[in-house]
Amino acid sequence: MNTGLEGKTVLVVESVNNFGRTTAVAFAKEGANLVLASAQSSDALAETAKQVSDQGVRAITGACATGNSSQLNELAQRGVAEFGHIDVLVNNTMVQVAPQSFSDLTFDGWKQKIETELQGNFFICQGILPLLLQNDWGRVINFSGQSAFEGTDAGSSASEFGIIGLTRGIAREYGKNNITANCICPGGAQSFGDSDAQAFPPRDRDPLPRWGKPEEIAYLAVSIAGEGAGYITGQCLVANGGKYLL
Amino acid sequence: MDTGLKGKTVLITGATRNHGRASAIAFAEEGANLLLCTRESKEMLDETAQLASGSGGRIVTELCDVTDEAQVQSFVQMGIKEFGQIDVLVNNAAWRARGELLSIDEDLWQKALGVNLHAPFLTCKAVIPHMVEHRWGRIINYSGIAPFKGASGQGTLKMATEGLTRAIAREYGPYNITANCIGPGSIDVSRTAGQASGPADGIVSLDIPVPRQGTVEECSATVVFLASEQASYITGQNYLVNGGAYFH
Repeated sequence: MNTGLEGKTVLVVESVNNFGRTTAVAFAKEGANLVLASAQSSDALAETAKQVSDQGVRAITGACATGNSSQLNELAQRGVAEFGHIDVLVNNTMVQVAPQSFSDLTFDGWKQKIETELQGNFFICQGILPLLLQNDWGRVINFSGQSAFEGTDAGSSASEFGIIGLTRGIAREYGKNNITANCICPGGAQSFGDSDAQAFPPRDRDPLPRWGKPEEIAYLAVSIAGEGAGYITGQCLVANGGKYLL
Repeated sequence: MDTGLKGKTVLITGATRNHGRASAIAFAEEGANLLLCTRESKEMLDETAQLASGSGGRIVTELCDVTDEAQVQSFVQMGIKEFGQIDVLVNNAAWRARGELLSIDEDLWQKALGVNLHAPFLTCKAVIPHMVEHRWGRIINYSGIAPFKGASGQGTLKMATEGLTRAIAREYGPYNITANCIGPGSIDVSRTAGQASGPADGIVSLDIPVPRQGTVEECSATVVFLASEQASYITGQNYLVNGGAYFH
């Protein structure tokens, strides 16, 4: 399948954790150039860049604290200077906090999750969208997750559901500009370097009672970014082995 | 239908007008006591209390900024002292994050985040321990039409509220506490100066199965039902009152 991604530029917000490395490499295999941000160590980010470059495409990298839209905007501007355009935003911003019961969750703990992750997602999309508008073409791929549906803990559930709302809003507001926005909702997929990897383990009653592979998320991102996915927008693409049926 | 709400205490935030006022009146008609708050206008709050009086329930009103942790705690403690218990929490206070993604500035975002999302968190934190103690409670939060029609600001915050609601539903089901959302569609309401009237963000067309705007009373009827004894097996849901504008 020709995804039409060759020569396009893909910005991956977290290029190490949360499926970021696998996703970056999957886009590189399609011939896309990469703008790689990460809140992880420079060594880890360099490793992603190396694996991307090994596919014969170009990549630039920049440190970006989780949810920090101004740092990301600076990197994106470097991306435009280097490649001429940004076409795809893979927004897998996520704050890793151990799920807490509502009774133990403080207002500060709640705010840390909401104001870094949900608010971070909001302003990251707001910052990058003008770059997509310049092309009159774009793909926004936000990452939500299983907590949105299962209500596992207040912070994750609120933030992940909010990200779905954000995605639907972008889909409606900017469809006229040939920009689609969709959400990937992994559940029980193993993500490299991700301390959340053990969340939502397979259960016997699941339709697919096994862990998901990072590639099974990454190729979903590639598919939804591809030219062929131009009529899909505002949707939740759930990849969770059938744990929750929308 | 006996809703079983007689003698129960209902806390309603943003009870000055529209949905909040209609809910206050509807709960009063069921014989419930009311604990009402708003941030600014004690006069309008007392007007609501006046309209809701006459059904035998007691009504207490007080100003409270529901985005302020300390104020919420002290308001709830006052209510518990007054009534002995709070059985139903209706998180009605709202601030609309109008506009498309690129037009929503930091100030508007912060205001809407505070009222629409932080406030339900804070009121739930304050009220739930008490409901757990009594092994009974009803929490009703407000979603809306934005999540379904798509609106960056409103949709983000309203869906986040649904997520919070689901988490609370999951955790507190064993204590006979249910948590649900009501999702009004285009409802005929009056707006604060500066917040334009009419269907939200132009996203709601009236070309819908019930081809008109809804009334606040049509919403409060659902709120009362979700709070009733009969609704005890309904939790983590979003009940849409939208004239069929979106089929869930």
